[in-house]
Amino acid sequence: QSFAMNRQLTSASAGRVGGGSQQPPLSAASHLVNSKEQNNKMADVPVQGRVSSENGEPLPGVTVVVKGTNVGTTSGADGNFTINVPDGKGTLVFSFIGFLTQEVAINNRTTLSVTLAADAKALEEVVVIGYGTEKKVNLTGAVSTLGMKQKENMPITNASQALHGVGGVWVNQAGGKPGQDAGSIRIRGVGTTNNSNPLVLVDGIEYNMNDINPATIETITVLKDASAAIYGSRAANGVILVTTKGGKKGKTEVNYSFSHGIQRATFIPDAVWDPILYMQSKNQALRNEGKTTVDYSDAQIEEYRNGMATNPYAYPNRNYFDEIIKNGYLQQHNLRFSGGSDKMVYSLALGYMDQDGIFIAANHANRYSIDLNATANVTEKVKVGATIKSMYRKYTEPAQGTEAFVNRFFRALPIFASYLEDGRYGNTVFTTPGQNAIANPHMMLKEGLNEHASVRTLAKVFADISLPFNLTYSANLGVDKLDGASDDLNGASRQFNPYMTTYHPLTKVPNFFNPTPYSYVYNQNNLNLSAYHTLSWNQKLAEVHNLSAMGGMSYTKFNTSYSSSQVFGYFDNTLTDINAGSINPQVSGRRTEDVLLSYFGRVGYDYKEKYLLDATIRRDGSSRFDRGNRWGTYYGVSAGWRIDQEAFFKNIGGLSFVDLFKIRASYGELGNQAVPLYSYAPTVNLGFDYAFNNTIAAGAAVTNAVDPEIHWETTNTYDVGADFSAWNGRLNLSFDVFKKRTTDILRQVNIPAQVGGLTGPQSNIGVVDNDGYDISLSHRNTIGHFKYEVAGEFGYVKNEVVDLNGARQVGTRRITTEGYPIDSYYLYEVEGIYQTQDEVNSSAKISNAVRPGYLKYKDQNNDGKINGDDRIITGSTIPKYTYGFNLGVSYKDISLSSFFQGIQGVDLYPTANLATPFNNGAGVTHEWLNNAWTPENPNAKFPILTTSTGATENFQPSTFWLRDGSYLRLKNIQLKYNLPISLISKIRLSNLGVFVNGENILTFTKFRDFDPEKNITQDNFYEYPSVKTFSFGINATF
Amino acid sequence: SEDLLDTQPYDRYTETIYWTSEKNAVAALNGCYAVLKEDGLFGGTATPLWEETATPNAYNYDNSFGFNVIALGTHTASPANPSEIINNRWTDSYRGIGRCNTLLAEIDKVPMSDALKNQMKAETKFLRGLYYSLLEMYYGGVPLILDKPNAATQAELPRNSREEVVQQVLKDLEEAAAGLPAKYSAAADKGRATKGAALGIKARVLLFEASPLINTSNDAGKWTAAANAAKAVMDLAPQAGYDLFPNYRTLFLPTNENNQEVIFDVQFKAPEQTGNSFDLIVRQFNTNAPLRDLIDAYYMKDGLPITESPLYNPAKPYENREPRFYQSIVYPGDTYMGAPVTATNPFKITGYTFKKYGIYDKEAGGAILNAGQSETNYMVLRYADILLMYAEAQNEAIGPDATVYAAINKVRQRAGLVPYEVPAGKTKAQMREIIRRERRIELAGEGFYYTDIRRWKTAEQVLNATIFTSQNQAIVKRTFNPTRDYWWPIPQTQRDLNPNLTQNDVY
Repeated sequence: QSFAMNRQLTSASAGRVGGGSQQPPLSAASHLVNSKEQNNKMADVPVQGRVSSENGEPLPGVTVVVKGTNVGTTSGADGNFTINVPDGKGTLVFSFIGFLTQEVAINNRTTLSVTLAADAKALEEVVVIGYGTEKKVNLTGAVSTLGMKQKENMPITNASQALHGVGGVWVNQAGGKPGQDAGSIRIRGVGTTNNSNPLVLVDGIEYNMNDINPATIETITVLKDASAAIYGSRAANGVILVTTKGGKKGKTEVNYSFSHGIQRATFIPDAVWDPILYMQSKNQALRNEGKTTVDYSDAQIEEYRNGMATNPYAYPNRNYFDEIIKNGYLQQHNLRFSGGSDKMVYSLALGYMDQDGIFIAANHANRYSIDLNATANVTEKVKVGATIKSMYRKYTEPAQGTEAFVNRFFRALPIFASYLEDGRYGNTVFTTPGQNAIANPHMMLKEGLNEHASVRTLAKVFADISLPFNLTYSANLGVDKLDGASDDLNGASRQFNPYMTTYHPLTKVPNFFNPTPYSYVYNQNNLNLSAYHTLSWNQKLAEVHNLSAMGGMSYTKFNTSYSSSQVFGYFDNTLTDINAGSINPQVSGRRTEDVLLSYFGRVGYDYKEKYLLDATIRRDGSSRFDRGNRWGTYYGVSAGWRIDQEAFFKNIGGLSFVDLFKIRASYGELGNQAVPLYSYAPTVNLGFDYAFNNTIAAGAAVTNAVDPEIHWETTNTYDVGADFSAWNGRLNLSFDVFKKRTTDILRQVNIPAQVGGLTGPQSNIGVVDNDGYDISLSHRNTIGHFKYEVAGEFGYVKNEVVDLNGARQVGTRRITTEGYPIDSYYLYEVEGIYQTQDEVNSSAKISNAVRPGYLKYKDQNNDGKINGDDRIITGSTIPKYTYGFNLGVSYKDISLSSFFQGIQGVDLYPTANLATPFNNGAGVTHEWLNNAWTPENPNAKFPILTTSTGATENFQPSTFWLRDGSYLRLKNIQLKYNLPISLISKIRLSNLGVFVNGENILTFTKFRDFDPEKNITQDNFYEYPSVKTFSFGINATF
Repeated sequence: SEDLLDTQPYDRYTETIYWTSEKNAVAALNGCYAVLKEDGLFGGTATPLWEETATPNAYNYDNSFGFNVIALGTHTASPANPSEIINNRWTDSYRGIGRCNTLLAEIDKVPMSDALKNQMKAETKFLRGLYYSLLEMYYGGVPLILDKPNAATQAELPRNSREEVVQQVLKDLEEAAAGLPAKYSAAADKGRATKGAALGIKARVLLFEASPLINTSNDAGKWTAAANAAKAVMDLAPQAGYDLFPNYRTLFLPTNENNQEVIFDVQFKAPEQTGNSFDLIVRQFNTNAPLRDLIDAYYMKDGLPITESPLYNPAKPYENREPRFYQSIVYPGDTYMGAPVTATNPFKITGYTFKKYGIYDKEAGGAILNAGQSETNYMVLRYADILLMYAEAQNEAIGPDATVYAAINKVRQRAGLVPYEVPAGKTKAQMREIIRRERRIELAGEGFYYTDIRRWKTAEQVLNATIFTSQNQAIVKRTFNPTRDYWWPIPQTQRDLNPNLTQNDVY
């Protein structure tokens, strides 16, 4: 965001250009009054005056307050004000956005003239860039910054959630699964069909956003163009730099914040829970597709109808969604101590999160974190520091995993008995084809366990040494240690797959869902070592030429290893340790190494801060490629022109309101090395064993085709932009147009099975373009005690595969081919619904089972057949537009802020349980029952009601089921009240805010089947539902 | 600094250093066998048992692996079509072929004894022949690739003619037969390909060639070739120890694996490895539910069909049936795992389930085996099949001579029919019907009938029919398009990847 960066970056993080700590001026916008008491007994004396700017213009809207009281007013259009001062004594405080706050002692005067100085802070603001910092106004690249102050008090459980709405960044947070609710992040489109995740660095070290406490983040910088080139081979998907909070010189501060929220599912399919209606409609569906036997006979339905009154255990009438889904809660405590002296600054933060999800069991998450950040000036020339971030987090899932549970949960039928009278898990009086293993949702949640736990610590030490000739040497060493199970590998740390048996409600005959329990323990150990050092220099020559240079080298080694063990043979579900099992023990394990060696440098030049130039280069060597292909060189150049600094511009009358007017351009070449390890090496894999006469004999096989020539993927990025700021920051505008061309994209190529049935090789194929623009616009103002802010971010990206060597990557519903976006939909085109048998007879059709009420596919090539050749390319899995906007108002100590976020131009393809009717024994939604074709309802929304597994003709991949996935949602709305200083100072507080939040509470979308912010690459609904959160909390500073 | 960047995997070999020892070569051969367990071939959940559901013998209500749409005649080549089997049989066959081709290309580099090397080559050729035979029997002509997998040279190869593929299959099987022992002395080698296995698969391939689907001119020479091939296995019986296993019920249980009737089987092992799910599907899923039509096909215990036997009582259709019926089928009125069986419980789909290839019977108790936990070997070829192949081919080539009677009577004798002898004096046509019914009964539920009704060209009658439950309730009407459905389509996914693959007619 280009606004609201109220805090400065003080952390001793990435080795910076020029070194030295930039201490920020105090914030202008807050704390108008101090703790003196008001004395109402004094007589009021009116004081008049006028407020103007340094160039003599009157300033309207300036807040004028008698210090230590609630007495205040606002200057009028001519800058004049009148205020009644108790006893005519005291000090007036003048504050106005964009200007430095000024205090004027009244000294018994009744008229005052005050000149406010412009606050140069906005112009001094610095931004963390790769291996250094840069004054924000002098940036020449497309860089977005986000001050976490702006997201303060929001119930954010993962830093990725804070990036919603940052221009050019698409965050998709699919589901609200406790402990695993990170969003996927795409910066300016999708450049590769491989890993498209941006590189994330925390205080200069590559790290996982999920493993840091969001409350300890100071700022997030997103490098979107050639500015990322300093990270070379990992930069092509953009780079996110997270800077954590450090200490500040001055008074020791203790900050405590707490929030507690209630969570509810945003969207759950509207399934039919009336057992009679369910059975009748299932029968109807079977008849409609030509079956002559149905699942439930009339006698059975009658039996059920009577049974509901007399034996609700056997003939239940229940809504499993109501039974299984409850309100969840989320609470967070954060405590931070910070302070410092000339010699040393420190920050120590403790965080605790406790979350219980919306299912009645098996979705609990906790997070405990410690963050220590300390910097000491050993001598005048030597500064050393350390950052230690450690987090223990854990979360639980249903024994078989969340996706498997939701899959089965969305198959629950109204005729399932949850419990028998004796407390055993029930199944169903009538069997239903497709429902063999009666997956009682209560049983699946309450039996067994699935725990994920990890401890991850990032320890970084650094030393900055000032050398003669303005040189600074910086050495940095980071160690990242993970124990447990990282999210990346999806390993449960501890899983007990329990006995699961349900019983027939009448006969008590068991149905064995899982008769062979096992225990599984997975342990991952990762040790990532990063070392980098830089030498930097800056010099001002002849008062006009600013020169800077930096050179450095880095070495990063990622070691991963895991081992897992599994054993069967448990008596029951009580003892779950590996030691309690008895038969068939199995083990597995693997370790990997991955090395990156880099040399990099940056040179910068500006002339009077008017003409700005910046160039970076990086040479990376990666162990992921073979000798001869492993080194790549990347670079970025950018230039800017501060037109506002030009004499001619300053001389133009009436333009003095302009704070910043800069145009800039950049070009860079970035890389991507994201291929699986050892992809270049043809290997013979083990584990393809065969048991001759029940004796296992080791087997080996070549399973993958290999392209030994694979090398870096390269992205050429062009960006032209402008930054504009006026009226002391009241209006800000940034605009960027970009073009990204990725060549030699790495992807796994599908090859025909006739080539030995091998998995296709990772190969450099093709060219992908992402072209678009980002706009950000903000306006904020203060009118007396009233402040408001309107800000918006908008990004457009057009993705197109330019060249794929003529190849096409075709999946079940998607295709990647030249001339279309990556992973476009590839579907039959539906022309309508067959109304008559004659119409069926006279047209090409997908099979001879087609009948009236079925979908009519278009025979694109008019060959009289409907087959794969009749598919068309349509739709997009990548949103064309991403946007977000803030609306905020405050009056005195009350503020209301809201944040909306949306995407446009993306399609979803809902399928399987509860998306399609009676999917393999699953139920159906009211939507389907009410809108299906019948001869009497020929213009229905849906085809004739059938089972989706029985009448596959209607559920072929077709345009009929493609849905617009665009949405706009009120991501957050927050009402906050800061208690008056006069009140809280008595209890030694310097700030106390209380707030309420609503998260995801309003969504505008045409997508009606599920929450639209779902996993786009997965077409079914088998994911943890998205949640809305209502929370309240306090934020106190001592 | 280059050394800093050299890393290597610790859990797999690079190919350059692999082909250096006998142990490694043997492991590569084991990898060729392991493909047999893939779901497109004889493994997965229960692929060979599900194949029965594409025939009048059984019904798969939830379209497991796409066999039901094949039965309905509504399958297509479309990638989203739920006929996974059409995609997977193609891919898995080529996976096996690719591994065999790699081994044959590399094994000469490996220092090891010539005797073992030659035997291993012969085993590999057997497997390659078997994998190609599946392709030519289901899809027709396919790309014939005999070199080590190479995307650059093989990815765009078009289909060869079916005849070319068949010739190569026969060549591989003959070379395999020449290099393979009649049986293995070491117990740990049981399950490897033998001379009899190669000759037996050759007989199956030649029988397919001789059958009406291919042999449209009814060339007697082709029947003779098939008969001779089956006879070669029968002649090998004394040396290889082949004979019918005395107990038809326990022939299909894990306790009797590798018995004298087995000519080639897929060796499953659980729980150390992922086994199949035969027990789960017959006990619980009921996705290979026998149909009334199969029940009615079983003889009465006097060896006569229900239409001819005085013992048949339509009111009590399960009384006085032949032993194989009770050894293969669970029916309403039966007892299963200690509980009574009714027409809708526990086998709701048709009222029946298969006992064959399941470990469960009347008795209660026993292990409850779930997905992947069954280790019963699947017999790709057993001696009874050889006898029936011989009888069929010889009857077509010569007529019902004494050897035809002997072969079929041997099967009926073991089945326990009283009397077991086919009455003398049958015409060739009468004998044909007897042999076909015998095949259907003897091999019921084992996954061979689908190819039988295709090669006999009877599918267009028996698959254009309504299917019924035990209560004679109609379930659904199936269709079969004779101009299309005798062959499977080339999977659209493959045609998307290799545009040179032509499609079969009408798909």
